[in-house]
Amino acid sequence: MNQAPHCVTLALCQLPSGEVGRVREIVGDAQFCQRVREMGFGESTFVTKISGTGPFVVQVNRTRIALSHGAAKAILVEPLRR
Amino acid sequence: MALPSHLKASPAPVAAGPARLPVYALVGNPNCGKTTLFNALTGLKQKVGNYPGVTVEKKVGTTFSQHGQPITVIDLPGTYSLAARSPDEAVTRDVLLGRRSDTPAPDRILCIVDATNLERNLYLVHQILDLGRPVILVLNMMDLAVKAGLNVRIARLERELGIPVIPCEAANNKGLIDLRLAMSRADLPLARHAWDIPAPIAPAVAELQACLTVSDHKSPLSARAEALLLLTDQDTVRVAGSTPLSTRTTDTLQAWQKRWAAEGTDWAASLVHARYDAIKRVTEEVVLKAGDAGPSASDRIDAFITHRVWGWVVLVGVMALLFISIFSLAEPPMNWIDDRTAALAGWVKSVMAAGDLRSLLTDGVIAGVGGVVKFLPQILILFFFVGLLESTGYMARAAFMMDGFMGRVGLNGKSFIPLLSSYACAIPGIMATRTIEAPRDRLVTILVAPLMSCSARLPVYLLMIAALLPGGKVSVFAKAGIMVGMYALGTLSAFGFAWLFKRTFLKGEAPPMMMELPPYQLPRIRDVALHMWERAWSFLRQAGTVILGVAIVLWFLSAYPKAPPGTPPTQELQHSYAGQAGHLLEPVIKPLGFDWQIGIGLISSFAAREVFVGTMGIVFSAESSDDNTEPLREAMGKARWPDGRLLFTPLVCINLMIFYVFAMQCMSTLAVVRQETASWKWPLFQTAYLTGTAWIVCFIVYQVGRAFGL
Repeated sequence: MNQAPHCVTLALCQLPSGEVGRVREIVGDAQFCQRVREMGFGESTFVTKISGTGPFVVQVNRTRIALSHGAAKAILVEPLRR
Repeated sequence: MALPSHLKASPAPVAAGPARLPVYALVGNPNCGKTTLFNALTGLKQKVGNYPGVTVEKKVGTTFSQHGQPITVIDLPGTYSLAARSPDEAVTRDVLLGRRSDTPAPDRILCIVDATNLERNLYLVHQILDLGRPVILVLNMMDLAVKAGLNVRIARLERELGIPVIPCEAANNKGLIDLRLAMSRADLPLARHAWDIPAPIAPAVAELQACLTVSDHKSPLSARAEALLLLTDQDTVRVAGSTPLSTRTTDTLQAWQKRWAAEGTDWAASLVHARYDAIKRVTEEVVLKAGDAGPSASDRIDAFITHRVWGWVVLVGVMALLFISIFSLAEPPMNWIDDRTAALAGWVKSVMAAGDLRSLLTDGVIAGVGGVVKFLPQILILFFFVGLLESTGYMARAAFMMDGFMGRVGLNGKSFIPLLSSYACAIPGIMATRTIEAPRDRLVTILVAPLMSCSARLPVYLLMIAALLPGGKVSVFAKAGIMVGMYALGTLSAFGFAWLFKRTFLKGEAPPMMMELPPYQLPRIRDVALHMWERAWSFLRQAGTVILGVAIVLWFLSAYPKAPPGTPPTQELQHSYAGQAGHLLEPVIKPLGFDWQIGIGLISSFAAREVFVGTMGIVFSAESSDDNTEPLREAMGKARWPDGRLLFTPLVCINLMIFYVFAMQCMSTLAVVRQETASWKWPLFQTAYLTGTAWIVCFIVYQVGRAFGL
C-alpha cells in the first residue's frame, strides 16, 4: 500500500498503550491476513492500543478486539503522534 | 403451501414473489444481537435440530406477518464473512449459496448489523448483496449508537443501498413492528448493488461464473457471488452435507490460483479492499459523528476486568462461584430426582410380578435413564452461568485472560470455555468446541476434554474417599484435599496431553487469536433461559438415547445367563456375562490391585462412571445410594482377596480414583466425539490413550506403593 519511504513501522505489540497507529502491513499466512482484513483491520485503518502485555486489547472502528501476542506481532503499524 | 389471498392480489412484484410465504435467513456478525432478535421475533416457536452430518445447530423459528401468516426464519451461525473459517461459518455460507440439500436456499435474507460499527458489519452485507436476493437490513443497537455520538441517517442508507433499512433495538423490543411489516411485504426491491470488481480479476470471475452456471447449475447472480468467494477464500472449510463443486469449476479455479501465485499478486487482499472502499463511500454519507463521547462504560469496566491483577481476581472468583453453585445448588434437585426414580422403580415393582420384564424396566431402563437425568440440574446451572457470562460479555474477557496460559500448551483462549464446561459434563464441553476455528485445535480440545473431572466422577470419588477414610474421625479438609487433588490431576493431565498432541501428530501453530470484545450489557434473562433450555434438551436427547440403549444392553449382560436355582443373591452376578467378563478381566487389572468384583464395576461403568457405585452395591449386596455410602462402605471394608488380604486398602482406593480420573468410562462422550469428528478413529484413539494412561499410572502407583509396603 502507498507506504511513504520514510515512515517507520513497528509491530502492533510494540506500540505503547494509549497510542494510535495506522496499519501498514499485515504479515503472516494468507488465512490470517484475510481474516484481519475482513474484520475491518486492513491496511490504512487507524488502531488505538488500549492495554495489555500478553494478549492485547486494541480498538478499531469502535470495536474492541483482543489479539494474542502472535497476532499483534503480525500487524505492522506506523505510529502516529496525537 | 397455499398462497395467501393478500399475496395473490398484490401488484407485480419487483423481485418475483415465490409461490409460498418466503423463508427468511437471519445473518449477521457475532455479537450484533442476532440471537436476541431471533428470540424476539420467534419467541418459543423455535425448533433446534442439527444440520445432517455436521453438528452445527440448525435453529428454525416461526414469526407472524402483519396478517397473522406464519413466516419461517432460519437463524444462521454468526460470521464476519462468507469466507468460512469454522464449521459453523461454513454452514452459513453453504445455506446462503444453496449448497445444502437439507436446507433450500432462503428466499429472502435478514441482515442484522450493529449500528455502532456499521463499516465492519456492512462487509458481510456487501457479500450477501452479491447473491442478488431480496435483503432487509436491520440496524440494531441504535440506542448505543446514539450514546456513542453517532448519527446514522437511515433514509440515506436506504437510498444508497436500495433496500429497506429498519432501525431497531432488539434487546428492548423496539422496532420489531416495523420489521414485521417489512417482512410481510409481498415484494421487496433488489439492492442497487453496483461495485467495481478490481479489473485484473474480472476475467477470472467471469470464467468461474460461467463454469458455475453451466456445470453446477447455479443462477447467474449466485454464481458470480460464489465465484468471488472461491477466488478470495484461500482454504475453504468443507463440511459434510455440502454439495461438492464440479471438476470443471475446481480445475478452472486451480488454474487461476496457480497463475496468480506465479505472478505473486494477492488478489484476495485487493478484493477485501475493494469492498471496504465501496462501503466507505456509503458510510461517509450515512454516518455522522457528533463528536467523541470519550471512554464508554465498557472501557471503564474493561480497565478493571482485564487488569493484570484484578482481572485474575475476578476470573478466579467467577470460576469459584460457578463451581460452588454447580455442586451445592444442584444437590437438592439431584436428590429429588434420585428419590423420584427410586419411587418410580418401587411403584413398578409393586404393580408388576417379579420377572425379567420387571427387572428390565426397574434395573435397566429406570435406573439407567434416571442416572443421566440426575445430572440435568448441574447442566442447567452450568448453562445458566455460561449463558449469563456470554450475555454480559464477560466470557470473551475470560477467554482473553486465559489466552496466554492456553498458549503455553499450544491452544488459544477459545479452548477455555469448552474445557470449563467439561467440569460439569464432557458432552456439552465437546459440543462447545464448534466455535474453535482451527480444526487441529478443536480436535485436541475434544481429545483432552474428558480429563476434566466431570460430575459423574463425583459419586465414585465420594465412595472411595468414604472407604479410604472411615468414620467421622477424619477432618473434612483431608477429604476435600483428596478431592481437589483428583481435580488437579485431571486438569494438569489435560494440559499435559494437549501440549503433547500439539507437539506430535496434531502439530501446527494455534492461529493467532483475534477476538472481538463485545460491549458489556445487562444480561437478558429471556435469552439465557432459552439457551439453557436448548442445551438441556440437546443433552437429554444426545445422552439419553445412548444411555437408554446401553442400559438395556448392560442389564442383559448382568442378568443373563441365569444362575442355577438356589444360588445366593450375592453370587448371582458371578454367573452372568458381566461376572464372567469380570473374571476374564482380572489378570489385566490385578497388577493395579483390582479383583474381578471391581472388574465388574469397571466394565459396567463403561456406560457411565457413576454406574460404578450402583454395581458395587450389587456386587457386595449392600443397599445404598450415592449419598449414603455407609452400608456399602462397611460391606466393602470386609471384602477380601481369596488369600485373606484386604481388598480395599487405602492404596487401592486411591488407585481406583486415579483410574477414574483418566479412564474413558463414558459411552455418551464417545458417541458425541464420534458425531463431532465424523469418524470412529478419534473416539477409539481417545479411549485407547485415556484408558491406557489410566492403566499405566495405576500400575506404577500400585507397584510403587506395594514396594513401600502400603
